[in-house]
Amino acid sequence: MKKQYAFLVDSERCIGCFTCAMACRNYYHQEEGVVWRQVYPLSEEIYPHRERAFLSLACNHCEDPACLNVCPVNAYTKREEDGVVVHHQEKCIGCGNCIRSCPYGAPKYNPVEKRAEKCSFCHERLDAGLKPACVQSCPTKALQLVDLAEMQQTNQVQYPAGYPKMEKLNPSTRFILPKTPKMVRR
Amino acid sequence: MASKKLLSRRRFLQGVTAATAASMLPCRLLVPGTAQAAGFDQNEFQVFRNACPRNCYDTCSIKTYVKDGVIQFIEGAPESTYTDGGLCVKGYSYTRRPYSPDRIKYPMVQDGRRTGKWRRVSWDEAMDRIAGKIMELKERDGSLLGLGMTKYSGNFGITNYGVEGLMSSLGYTTRFVGTPCWPAGIDAQNYDLGNMWCNDPEDMVKARYVIIWGANPAWCSVHSMKYIMEAKRRGAKILVIDPVFTQTAAKGDVFWQPKTASDGALALGMARHILDKGLVDRAFVENNAQGFEEFAAYLRENVTVEWAAEQSGIPAEEIREVAEEFAQADPATIWIGYGMQRHTNGGASVRSIDALVAMTGNVGKEGGGARYGHLQTWGFNYNAFIQKQPEGSVGFTGPAAKGEFDLTEGRQASYSDRTVNINKTAQAILDTKDPAIRMLWVSCKNPFAQDFDRPKLEKAFDTLEMVVSVEQFFTETVANSDIVLPVTTLFEEWTVNASYWHYWLSINEQAIKPLHEAKSNLEIGAALSRKMNELAPGSCTLPTEIDTREWTAKEFNQGIYDLFGINDWTDLKNGPVKAKLASSAAWHDMKFGTPSGKYEFRSDLCAEHGHKALPEFKKGRESYDKFRLLTPHTKFGIHSQFVNLDWMKEYNKEPFVYMHPKAAAGKGINDLDMVRVFNKVGEQKARVKLTDNVTEDCLLIYEAWFGKGTTFNVQNLVDDESADMGAYKAGAPGVAIHDQFADIERA
Ligand code: SF4
Ligand code: SF4
Ligand code: SF4
Repeated sequence: MKKQYAFLVDSERCIGCFTCAMACRNYYHQEEGVVWRQVYPLSEEIYPHRERAFLSLACNHCEDPACLNVCPVNAYTKREEDGVVVHHQEKCIGCGNCIRSCPYGAPKYNPVEKRAEKCSFCHERLDAGLKPACVQSCPTKALQLVDLAEMQQTNQVQYPAGYPKMEKLNPSTRFILPKTPKMVRR
Repeated sequence: MASKKLLSRRRFLQGVTAATAASMLPCRLLVPGTAQAAGFDQNEFQVFRNACPRNCYDTCSIKTYVKDGVIQFIEGAPESTYTDGGLCVKGYSYTRRPYSPDRIKYPMVQDGRRTGKWRRVSWDEAMDRIAGKIMELKERDGSLLGLGMTKYSGNFGITNYGVEGLMSSLGYTTRFVGTPCWPAGIDAQNYDLGNMWCNDPEDMVKARYVIIWGANPAWCSVHSMKYIMEAKRRGAKILVIDPVFTQTAAKGDVFWQPKTASDGALALGMARHILDKGLVDRAFVENNAQGFEEFAAYLRENVTVEWAAEQSGIPAEEIREVAEEFAQADPATIWIGYGMQRHTNGGASVRSIDALVAMTGNVGKEGGGARYGHLQTWGFNYNAFIQKQPEGSVGFTGPAAKGEFDLTEGRQASYSDRTVNINKTAQAILDTKDPAIRMLWVSCKNPFAQDFDRPKLEKAFDTLEMVVSVEQFFTETVANSDIVLPVTTLFEEWTVNASYWHYWLSINEQAIKPLHEAKSNLEIGAALSRKMNELAPGSCTLPTEIDTREWTAKEFNQGIYDLFGINDWTDLKNGPVKAKLASSAAWHDMKFGTPSGKYEFRSDLCAEHGHKALPEFKKGRESYDKFRLLTPHTKFGIHSQFVNLDWMKEYNKEPFVYMHPKAAAGKGINDLDMVRVFNKVGEQKARVKLTDNVTEDCLLIYEAWFGKGTTFNVQNLVDDESADMGAYKAGAPGVAIHDQFADIERA
């Protein structure tokens, strides 16, 4: 398998602190309302306590990206060397095709630039041997950078409950499911 | 870079002049078609060392990346194993803070409190008004006791004790002493151990059993979570005890949800079972403790596991199981949270938990300990703090309390400052006479978001002739002020920061020039001193020119250098350093700071101060309304700080009341309904979220201030009832923040 960088979201470790999301904003200063990484509480059907288990999600850097496929001006490229899906805003004409077609809602509309944008996987940091800003920030190492080509098969899942199953795209994000403690309640 | 002209002019630049947009982004957001942008290059930035000065366990060490005089981004210092390259959600929002469009930019005067009619004045005019008022008070009263100062934990940078320094250099004033945070527990630990001193949190990985009791590190000490998780990975059992199913509880092995304020009973029940099972650490209680036999007799006569079960609602079987496991695990530790001591029986409860840790021989042990907090690494000179009153100053005669961070000792003077209880701010303003508090100086604090009984506070403020607030944002306290002075953010001044939890020390460099007309607390002091001396030479002893870098340097001494193994304070520019500890365990030498030099199960000092000598059970406050009301910290802020930033609002849009679905059904309340929570203090509206994270008899609202366009304030519902302890070490008792009650209805 070719090298494919991916986010590993370990919901067993994730404390839903939003540090990763803010670390991204700290680094890129997105416009108001433009969120590249969001932390989603799992619904109570999936985890039985409100706002106590989370998925931290950004772009999945899919194997066969919908955004790339629908872009009329080739503003997206998928990097050969690590599978990172890059959006080139200077080419973007703001048609919104990518925003409409990504089932994971990763590309966002930048109302000031009037163009799309999304998580870049901090590829300029990767190229300098650094971790993505969000990954570096996570205080519990719940958010990790992994290479799917090298990852050992363990307890990870690709499509946890509540996460759209889009096999054609083959999103690269992987998850570890949260656990509940023994509860002694009065 | 070809794409430069296309770069977004990000919103944070609004209000920052001169610098060009293209040079602003830390990253190469836009890359040529090859997707092969140049890699990140640290050499394009100037990197500064900062340190988070908020009232937070973690006191993170920060690396700040500056280009063209503007902060591009920040990250945690990798040198600190504690921070480990990261911050928290609040920390990462700092990049926005100095550049926030909502920041107070210059001194302003309000024509009529709460009118919002603010107008810009020069620093000179602001100082003229303030100095004039101070002179008038002095003339009218013959002293400056009519000038009150309330300051707390908005900025723990050491040089910010220059606020106290300024007051002293004007004369003897009225000080609000005590702390809303942790005083009951501080006193409890002082009675038991002789000081508040906790193990290095990093040694929690060695624990075989961890009880987190009334603390929520997943929100309030995020960097401690990795040690708890590592202990768990190594096989330790993690038990979280809390009346709320917190985020920390969700990460433990076992969650106990006892009745609120029944912690003392629970600890004593466990202690009784350990005694019965013969699991007491005999060597410790015989050699290193005093009064264990009396404590054991108290347990045998007054405590049973069944009684503890009834008091707490935790089944007896559970209590027995955990007590045995805890006593047999070696080492075992308890993290005592500040939340659980904010009760009328909080100090007594902490003493019971201390006793549980001690009788199992876990005090003084690596990986063990009754962890609460420490000030071991706060050995600064307090150069900014200690200033001399002007010649001939008149002050208070009589016994006056000292605050928790008053580390100065034995300065003899015929006069002192007058002290009043910070936890009864409103009542103190209303009650103080001869002279009344006529003028108030507020810094590093937002009383309207934090002090109790907000309706009464407003009445009290209305009796003040002048209120001066030193602030960064238009808080409710500022709205209730006459003059606001813009203060620097951490990036715009020099200072030094230590933690009350971990053992790292960080320097805070000036990374950018102060924006607009902001000045540091020290520089504000110098400006006032200039004006005072202009009007009346010799009336203020604070220097009239201050360089925050020099004043930071003056806080260091050989003791600190030795403790941290550095030669000079400038070494800290290379990164934070950790104290050289003989052991990661507090009290490792078994030399306790108590009168007996031993661990005191029986504390005669405690009895002298009007409490029980033994860690006996104390009942909680009687309910005064239908539901228990809890107002703990939010993860998106520290008290009122951070929640107002637009960056934070992206993830935290509005406040909620949390309520159990069954209780809601009884009131006809549906999820996300607008509700009104009310009690004898006041009322507050918010939308409701239904969740079994709280019990049926509990309402929970996170403490916060939400800034513009909202009047949300939990202090509308919290009275100023005192906790049992705190006067001994903090100068005033704590406050029973979590002994509040309220009712609710659809709004
Ligand atoms: S920083 Fe880590 S723990 Fe916090 S929300 Fe993100 S993934 Fe979860
Ligand atoms: S990888 Fe970089 S761009 Fe993507 S979410 Fe993380 S910080 Fe943001
Ligand atoms: S608030 Fe606490 S955890 Fe966050 S950056 Fe400051 S010290 Fe660190």
